[in-house]
Amino acid sequence: VPISGGGSGVVGILVRCQLYSPQRALQASAVLRRVSDEQKKEPLASSSQQQFDSHPADHQPEQEPQGPRPSYTGQGGQESEDYESEEQLQHRILTAALEFVPEHGWTAEAIAEGAKTLGLSVAAAGMFHSDGSELILHFVSQCNTKLSDLLEQEQKLVQLGKAEKKSTDQFLRDAVEARLRMLIPYIEKWPQALSILLLPHNIPSSLNLLTSMIDDIWQYAGDQSTDFNWYTRRAVLTGIYNTTELVMMQDSSPDFEDTWRFLENRVADAMNMGDTANQVQSTGEAVVQGLMGAAVTVSNAETNRRSE
Amino acid sequence: RPCSTRATLEGINKPVIDRIIRVDHAGEYGANRIYAGQMAVLGRSSAGPIIQQMWNQEKDHLKKFNELMVAYRVRPTVLLPFWNVAGFVLGAGSALLGKKGAMACTVAVEESISDHYNSQIRTLMEEDPEKYKELLQIIKQFRDDEREHHDIGLEHDAEAAPAYSVLKTAIQLGCKAAIFLSERI
Repeated sequence: VPISGGGSGVVGILVRCQLYSPQRALQASAVLRRVSDEQKKEPLASSSQQQFDSHPADHQPEQEPQGPRPSYTGQGGQESEDYESEEQLQHRILTAALEFVPEHGWTAEAIAEGAKTLGLSVAAAGMFHSDGSELILHFVSQCNTKLSDLLEQEQKLVQLGKAEKKSTDQFLRDAVEARLRMLIPYIEKWPQALSILLLPHNIPSSLNLLTSMIDDIWQYAGDQSTDFNWYTRRAVLTGIYNTTELVMMQDSSPDFEDTWRFLENRVADAMNMGDTANQVQSTGEAVVQGLMGAAVTVSNAETNRRSE
Repeated sequence: RPCSTRATLEGINKPVIDRIIRVDHAGEYGANRIYAGQMAVLGRSSAGPIIQQMWNQEKDHLKKFNELMVAYRVRPTVLLPFWNVAGFVLGAGSALLGKKGAMACTVAVEESISDHYNSQIRTLMEEDPEKYKELLQIIKQFRDDEREHHDIGLEHDAEAAPAYSVLKTAIQLGCKAAIFLSERI
C-alpha cells in the first residue's frame, strides 16, 4: 500500500527511497518536486492509469446488486482530483515508457524516455530498479487487465444473446491467442523480458500475475469446479500458455500462424487428456475389482482343495 | 451461475472470506464422506434412515458452499483428495464399532464443526455484520443444523459407545488439525 495522499506523497517517496540509497532519494525528490509543481496547474486523471490501479479481479460485471453496500473508495479515489500518489505517478511513467521499449528494450533508458514525454526529468528512472523488472511487471499486469476486460465484454454479449456461446476449447484458444497477441509489438524484446521475469526476486510477482490471468480465463470460461479439477485445469492451461509463448518467440511465419496452430493442437490435446484421464480411472477401478474377484476365487479354490 | 456475484467481491476482506469459505467447503466435504462411510457399513441397519437424513442435509450444505466458492472465486483446499479418503475411513471405521460408535463419531465431529462455525460468526461480526449479511445467515443456519445432528447423536446413545471419551477426544483433535490445514493450504 502506497503512502499516499497529497503532500505526504513527497514524504512517502522520500521515506521509501531512503531504503534504497540516498542518491535515489535525491533523484526522486527532485522528480517529485517537479511533479507537484505541475499538479497545481493541472489536475490529473488519466484513464489508463486508473484502470490499472484497480486489481483485475475488481473488473467484473455486476449482476446481482446486493442491496445497499458500504461504498468502498479505492486508494486515493477522491484525492486523485488534486494529487496523485507515488504509485499512480509510477504507473503513468511506466505506461509512457512502454512506447520506447521496442527501441530501448526493458531498460532504464526506456523509462527515462517515457518520463521525458510526461515532461518529467529523466532522473525519474531512478525511482525504479535498474533491471527493468517493474516496467515488465507493469506491462504484464496491464495486459492481464485488458484481457479480462475483453473477456468480460464477450461475456456480456453472450448474455445479451448478441453472440453465440463458444465451446470451451474455442474459448480457451481465443483467450490465450488474444493475450499472446498483446506481445506482438514487443516481440523482439520479449525474450529479454522473460529472462528477467524468471530472476528469483521477480518470481513471486510474475507467478502471481500469471496465476491470476489463468484464473480469470477459467472464470470467464464458466469453470465451476470446486474439487481437485480446479488445480488440474489451471495447471494445464498454464502449461499451454507458457509453451505457446515459447513457440511464439521463435515463430517467423506470417502473423504467427504456426503459433496459433500449435496452440490449437495443445488445447485439443488437453481436451483429449481429460477424456483419457476418465478412461484410465474407470479402467483402474475395473482392474481393482477384477483383482479382488481373482483373490476371492483363489482363496475359495485353496479352501476347497484342502477340504478334499 | 457463471460469475454471479461479482458485485459482492468489491470491498470485502478477501483473505478472511477465502479462508472461511475454503475451510467450510472442506468441512462439509469431509462430513459428506464420513456419512458416506457410515452408510456403507450401517446403511441397512436400523440407524440407516437417521444417518441418511443427516447426510442429506450435509449434501445441501456442500452444494451451497460449492456455489459460494465459485461466486467468491475461492480456490478449494489442496487436501480434498486426502479428506475424501480420510472422511470415508473415519465414517466406516466408527460405524464398524457399531451404531453407537457411529453416533459418537457424529457427536464429536458435529461439535467441532459447530464450534468452528461459531468462531467464524464472531470473526465476521467483528469485520462488518452488514457487509457479510448473506454469509452470516448461511453460516448461522448451518451451525444450527450441525447442532441438531450433535443432539441426534446424543439421543441415540453416542455416550454409550466403547471408549467414548477417548474416541471423542481423538476425533476432535483430528478435526482441529483438519481445520488448521484446510484454512491454509
